[in-house]
Amino acid sequence: MKISIDWLKDYIDTDLTVDQIEEKLTLTGLEVEGVGHIGSKLPGVLVGKVLTCEDHPNADRLKVCTVDIGSAEVSIICGAPNVAAGQTVPVATVGTTLPVTDKDGNHLTLRKAKIRGVYSHGMICAEDELGLSNDHSGIMVLDDNLKSGTPLSEVLSLYEDDVLEIGLTPNRPDAASHLGTARDLAAVENKTLKKPDVKIPDAGAEVGKRLSVEIRNPEKCHRYVAKIIENVTIAESPDWLKNRLKAIGLRPVTNVVDATNFVLHEMGQPLHAFDYDRVAGKKIVVQSYEQTTKFSTLDDVEREVPAGGLFICDGEKPVALAGIMGGGNSEIHEGTKNVLLESAYFEPVGIRKTSKALALQTDASYRFERGIDPNITLIAAERCAQIIADIAGGTIVDGYIDVHPVVTSPKELSLRISYLNKVLGTDFKIDEAVDILNRLEIEAAAKDSDAIGCVVPTFRPDIEREIDLVEEVARIFDYNKIPAPEFVRYIRPAPLPFTETFTNQVKTAARSLGFHEIFSNSLLPEKAAKFTENPKDIIPTLNPISKDQALLRPDLLYGFLRSVAWNFNRSAESVRFFEVGNTFRHSEKGTYIENVQEETHILLGLSGLKHVEHWRTEPGQYTFFDLKESLKGFVKLLGLSDYLIERQKDNTSLLYFLDEQQVGSLRKISDDFCNYFEIDAPAFAAEFSLTRLAEFLEKKSEDTYVEIPKFPPIDYDIAFVLDKSTSSGDLEQTIREAASDRLIGLRVFDVYEGESIGRGKKSIAYRLLFLDKSKTLTISDVEPIIQKITKLAAQRFSAKLRS
Amino acid sequence: MSNTDLNEIREEIEKFPISTSEGLEEYRLKYLSRNGIIPDLLSRIGDAPPEQRAMLGKELNQLKNLAQDKFKKAQQDLKSGASHKQKATDDITLQVEPQPIGSLHPITQVLDEIKSVFFRLGFTVASGPELEDDFHNFTALNFPPEHPARDMQDTFFIRKDENDTSNDRVLRTHTSPVQIRLMESQRPPIRAIMPGRVYRNEAITAKSYCLFHQVEALYVDTHVTFAELKETLIILAQMLYGEDVRYRLRPSFFPFTEPSLEMDVWWGNEHKGQWLEVLGAGMVDPNVFRAVDIDPEVYSGYALGLGIERMAMLRYGINDIRLFYDNDLRFLNQFL
Repeated sequence: MKISIDWLKDYIDTDLTVDQIEEKLTLTGLEVEGVGHIGSKLPGVLVGKVLTCEDHPNADRLKVCTVDIGSAEVSIICGAPNVAAGQTVPVATVGTTLPVTDKDGNHLTLRKAKIRGVYSHGMICAEDELGLSNDHSGIMVLDDNLKSGTPLSEVLSLYEDDVLEIGLTPNRPDAASHLGTARDLAAVENKTLKKPDVKIPDAGAEVGKRLSVEIRNPEKCHRYVAKIIENVTIAESPDWLKNRLKAIGLRPVTNVVDATNFVLHEMGQPLHAFDYDRVAGKKIVVQSYEQTTKFSTLDDVEREVPAGGLFICDGEKPVALAGIMGGGNSEIHEGTKNVLLESAYFEPVGIRKTSKALALQTDASYRFERGIDPNITLIAAERCAQIIADIAGGTIVDGYIDVHPVVTSPKELSLRISYLNKVLGTDFKIDEAVDILNRLEIEAAAKDSDAIGCVVPTFRPDIEREIDLVEEVARIFDYNKIPAPEFVRYIRPAPLPFTETFTNQVKTAARSLGFHEIFSNSLLPEKAAKFTENPKDIIPTLNPISKDQALLRPDLLYGFLRSVAWNFNRSAESVRFFEVGNTFRHSEKGTYIENVQEETHILLGLSGLKHVEHWRTEPGQYTFFDLKESLKGFVKLLGLSDYLIERQKDNTSLLYFLDEQQVGSLRKISDDFCNYFEIDAPAFAAEFSLTRLAEFLEKKSEDTYVEIPKFPPIDYDIAFVLDKSTSSGDLEQTIREAASDRLIGLRVFDVYEGESIGRGKKSIAYRLLFLDKSKTLTISDVEPIIQKITKLAAQRFSAKLRS
Repeated sequence: MSNTDLNEIREEIEKFPISTSEGLEEYRLKYLSRNGIIPDLLSRIGDAPPEQRAMLGKELNQLKNLAQDKFKKAQQDLKSGASHKQKATDDITLQVEPQPIGSLHPITQVLDEIKSVFFRLGFTVASGPELEDDFHNFTALNFPPEHPARDMQDTFFIRKDENDTSNDRVLRTHTSPVQIRLMESQRPPIRAIMPGRVYRNEAITAKSYCLFHQVEALYVDTHVTFAELKETLIILAQMLYGEDVRYRLRPSFFPFTEPSLEMDVWWGNEHKGQWLEVLGAGMVDPNVFRAVDIDPEVYSGYALGLGIERMAMLRYGINDIRLFYDNDLRFLNQFL
């Protein structure tokens, strides 16, 4: 919202500078987001008389003029075709900065300059050079009666203004006008607000004979005031009005329309002017339709207004889209003689719905949807009628029509000073609070030693409760001036939740294993669904602005691959990424929300070159085992090594379990998925549910220190020959099962296949490490264990010892 | 014969390259032979002033030992062929492959910093779901039924019931629903921060992304005051932006706090700069307390929230929010 400083000063006497006003308003809650300067008084531009005008000795198109500028006669070079001796002209003297800018956007500052060998001491100006119009056809010629040396600002009505851009919060409809903004400034500065003087005539009278008004939907239109001004002359507005509107970025249209816009921005009441003679049946009906209605607004657009949208109709048809925009069929035009002026209160929600549905926001709808003052309707109508009569001629038809089915009365509230001080931590006296409230036109008076009775004006719909009054006092006092408390209590801190410390542990672990943390979008494109395991469990978004944000991620894989592709496409050779983030799936029960399983996952993934081409190493790509190795370290860092069970799912994926519940997986990512992202290198990812890991670990008792063994371990090598189809993981599991708890280490040191051990066979060699806490083990202690192992391995897998 | 000269000779000897028997002979002739530098120096001790002779003799002897040791070692090496065995790859100045190093995302780093400030102030952490119901995201936070945030334009809906908004499911638009969950599950005093991911149904551009991260802080107890909130904000600004931070508080509006404010910090120097909004805050609105059955006449509280991406962008001069989600290694490697 734009506020002109010059206009603002119509309602408050103040010596504050623009910067000070900006600061004051911002600190009361009307945040000034920017300040602009418009127009110029053109200091340094004077009236001059062209005494002589000779051809330039060295240039065909230039003239050398002698110009009387009052204090001196100066020589000025001029290139304009119309310059001539005897003219009275505007002269920009040396040192003057003009509104025109060069191609870099810098303002032109005049210097004494030599032009083709002749000095020029200033510039005779064209209108565009002074920022008065776009006319560059020749120099501006002034009235001959003007005296040389007179500042141009005294001759022309030059306009200059500063304009504030205010970011208005939705709770402050009252400040959506110059008067409303001035009210806050006056309250802070403790000045009087100078409201325009508006006299309200008697109701009805003559207007009632010329027009009838009916409101069929009083819940949507609480009040409708009509005035008629007859025998107006439609013309351009006077300069003062045009300047006001131009300052805040509005294009002047005609005097009548400009007057309505002026009052809107002055008082915050949107008004609409109809051509009275185009209102059929001399009748206004405010109503909505139950079906979609086509209507051409005055911007020449035919709009389909949804059912429920409110219209202003005449005796035959809709003539305006209530509170949003008038219709082409009834608008003011050049030949308009008689004006019907509407000032109404439309209920905010309905206006907002229609405005949203049509994607049509106007200065009027902006104010109605925030809630205007329901009791300014008549005052604004009178104010506007008077301005129209002043600037467009014509006479105001006696009286007014005021249909007012829903009356809003000022709210009465009570504010306890004890409550105010308790909330703010301050020591306000009752009189201080009363004073501040009164400055805001809240009628406040102490009822007793604690309570302040308050009557809240209807232009403040946001003040509904005691706490709202507390805010008013605090903001006008200035938040920054509220004193620091004498002490701040330090309450007993609650322990950090396990998930917090665990998540930190997880991230630190992943980082220590050489993975970069990534953050990826939780919203996936529709086409991502086909790459996930159970597409029917994926939760879609109902209304994504883009198809790329159609699904909630069921896991972290998509984001990982997208980041891999992004980097490979930008010359990266190798990636090691991890991400911690929430994932979403439909489920029977749900975590927080019914039927929604929202869990925090971690993904560890890698792809590309493990080794680049380098003198020490052959180039080589990451394999499944590289990630499995990292995962092993990760699991160890989380203290899960002794609990996590690995099971093979298929040739390219492993699953991990805790207490028989699946908690994660490790896999090579399918070629299809990689191809989708055009990733050539194999990619691998391990994904775990941190939610489930945390549940498990939280229950588990904390590990304690285990004494370092006093006796040395003994190792024993054993190799099995077995079918290739048997997984080594199963065999390893069997070995562990058969061995006693003396087995403290198990390492595969060789894997072999070849004709010598038979077709379809493989050999796996283990080095087993045994330890006893209470003695040094000998081979004879270990042999019985080995026998048990070989027996069980033979039973389960027909595994034979390799000799 | 100055010390400087002796040092120069010592350095020469140390650096003298000997890789062949010819080189060894050259070395011997230059330094150790009868006409070599060292015997020559020794012979001239007598020229020095008497009080310096003892010291000079000692130093020259050390030099002689050094030269002889080097000779012997080189002779040995040549005999055993050691220098021939020195491989090209034994050169320890050869460059190595980079070690893969891990990192935490800048959002995590900034969040950790914010957490550490709040932990010092005695706050704990709470979390909640990103997919929320209407009650927690809107109703309990005093959003009126017709609030624009409930429009389909601004918020990602997962379920929308035209007749009963309480059935609506959304991607949370702020972390404030966690306040509600916390107050539902726990009675005051409550002092916690709530970091997390929030969503806005917006096109992805340099300035906006469909999601971002917030931290929210909530403190509820008897006698929590606006002045205390202000004090906390100042501490926070000083810890995050430096002791000399210039700040201002200005009234603002949020449905769930009253009075509400925003805090700006001055970005720039004394002469040139601008106020930049860094957080929003306020006293918990009595309607919020009523929604979770806490008596607003007994308890009061404050809440504050700030955007993590915004803070990181300010801090590091990042001008495109998408950089946080592209995960470009050239970006991530700047935050090790």
